[in-house]
Amino acid sequence: MDGKNTNTEIVRVENVRKVYHDNGVPVDALRGINLTVSPGDFSVIAGPSGSGKTTLLNIVGTLDKPTEGKVYLDGEDVASKTRRELADMRLRKIGFVFQAYNLNPVLSALENVEFTMMLRGIDAGKRKRKSLALLEELGIGELANKRPNEMSGGQQQRVAIARAISNEPRLVLADEPTANLDSETAVKLLELMERLNHEDGITFVFSSHDPQVIERAHRLLILKDGQIVTDKVNK
Amino acid sequence: MIGKIAWRNILRNKRRSLILIVSIAIGVVAMVLTDAVSIGMMRQMLTNQIGADAGYIQVHKKGYQADPALKNSIADTAPVRSVLSTDTASCEVSERLRTFGLVSSAYNSSGVSIVGILPQKERKVTTVHNYMVEGTYLSGNPGDIIISTATAEKLRVGLGDKVVIMASRLDGSVGSEACRIVGLFETFDSGFDQTHVYIPMQTAQQMLDAPGRVSEFVVNPTDTKRTETVAAQIESDLPAGFEVLTYKQMLPILVMQLQLYDQTIYIFYAIIAIALIFGIVNTMLMAVMERTHEFGVDMAIGMANRRIFTMILTEALYLGVIGTAAGLVVSFAIFIPLSHSGWNLAMFSESLKSVGVGTTIYPVLAASSLINTILIIPLSAVIGAVYPALRAIKLQPVEAIRAS
Ligand SMILES: Nc1ncnc2c1ncn2[C@@H]1O[C@H](COP(=O)(O)OP(=O)(O)OP(=O)(O)O)[C@@H](O)[C@H]1O
Ligand SMILES: [Mg+2]
Repeated sequence: MDGKNTNTEIVRVENVRKVYHDNGVPVDALRGINLTVSPGDFSVIAGPSGSGKTTLLNIVGTLDKPTEGKVYLDGEDVASKTRRELADMRLRKIGFVFQAYNLNPVLSALENVEFTMMLRGIDAGKRKRKSLALLEELGIGELANKRPNEMSGGQQQRVAIARAISNEPRLVLADEPTANLDSETAVKLLELMERLNHEDGITFVFSSHDPQVIERAHRLLILKDGQIVTDKVNK
Repeated sequence: MIGKIAWRNILRNKRRSLILIVSIAIGVVAMVLTDAVSIGMMRQMLTNQIGADAGYIQVHKKGYQADPALKNSIADTAPVRSVLSTDTASCEVSERLRTFGLVSSAYNSSGVSIVGILPQKERKVTTVHNYMVEGTYLSGNPGDIIISTATAEKLRVGLGDKVVIMASRLDGSVGSEACRIVGLFETFDSGFDQTHVYIPMQTAQQMLDAPGRVSEFVVNPTDTKRTETVAAQIESDLPAGFEVLTYKQMLPILVMQLQLYDQTIYIFYAIIAIALIFGIVNTMLMAVMERTHEFGVDMAIGMANRRIFTMILTEALYLGVIGTAAGLVVSFAIFIPLSHSGWNLAMFSESLKSVGVGTTIYPVLAASSLINTILIIPLSAVIGAVYPALRAIKLQPVEAIRAS
């Protein structure tokens, strides 16, 4: 996608620790994480509940700051950025897919996709054309004018994926994207993401504890008590 | 697109938006109508005083305004008459001889301004003839007098009775005349009523032994906007020894009140604006807090703080504009019939009469009150949204997304 960067790593996480304070009691959510994500990766972070998956994804996505350690996005040290620069980085480089879809309830499917392009300053005609094409590609073209509350969970998550990739990000982060879906829908959604990864070279990192999802990962990272206990390539 | 989102968010909680729009509209109605009634009342006080007695322009002998005594009346009116005959095209002109004196019955007496008038001309410059409650206005018969109902009550006299008027003459002797009451008047101003009686010019000149003398010439331009121009023309044409005054100089306190009002109204505007701002802060804060989760998502997908801020302010602006429009529609719906029929305040008639307003107020909608409303109210709505918007952009994305 971003031609000149394709050979460098997108994300580098170095010795990241995250300590939460729960009513004054320190909770070690992450304990020394080292990780790199390269272009074209299709990685799953697995692990039991409370192992730190969400915490790690939030830190990689610059939504949260590590207590210790470094995070580099496209070679840039995230800690040195202002809030505004981070928002801009997320807008241009990262697409987010959430467990609860989190589409804007007052916008149609099409407008939800257009929204992120509007934030990038893409003009109305172009973003509309592109959003429609994306929805078509994801098999939900006929839902363009529907609001989120008129769509099923699977449909909403497809719109969310369209939104996440609309700005051609370097990386899509998805925290348990299929957890709210039935297994048939979950598999279809996963096939979609695989296709986008395979055909369009979009890099995905997502978390899951769904065995069906985990087995499709190209690279599997298993978290346990805030540490990566397994990092292996599947296929 | 931000505008579209803002608009849809307003429609999202219709009940809350409606309540806010209605409160804004009430503020607008309060502002516009209070202003219209106050300005109407002020202008009425002024036009009433001009209409009852002062007129728009008066010509005196120099010094009469400072000391309105008989000796300061004009002895030789010829120069004035000649100037007025050329300078008062499309004006109504009248003349009076006026002095302080006593009006007495067998029962009581009262200090008053005794005003000698030319009834046919006076009718055209003042309005007392419209306020006759019994009998008729003066017709010019020597020895007739009209007094107010208040004076009649005080003297315990009625229509057809005789009263004696007395006043000092130029030579210091006292002139008096027995006059027959042909009419009783009652105007909008009880103070004025108690202090004025009218007799024919001829009777006044005789009683005061002041033949040919005139205290004041009254000039009313048909187009009252020409007051200053006409006054200036007369003044420049008159020889020295005369003074030309407009109502602004004759009724300085009233004119000052009008000017003062223009300033004090801003205090009233400020009170309404502040009340509105608090209402908006409250409601918008509630709306923003309900959408915490959504703002978290917006931030995650890269929406800059300034855009979130703008979006919230835009919502408030729309609410402010809609509320203002609705308020203006309601204001006009109330104002238009009221400005024709007047607002009858008979229940406050005593106090209104004591300030010279009359019992019916005709509200006046000034362009400035509309402009002020259109600027102040939507701006207040936007100001009220600033704090909620600041709260929204202070949210931490992770925590905001976790909120449901
Ligand atoms: N805001 C917070 N305050 C305090 N403790 C927290 C907070 N967020 C997470 N934790 C703790 O950090 C640890 C890691 O949580 P995290 O949500 O990252 O796990 P997870 O792997 O995503 O779990 P799940 O599968 O349930 O989503 C847990 O012990 C959790 O209780
Ligand atoms: Mg989690």
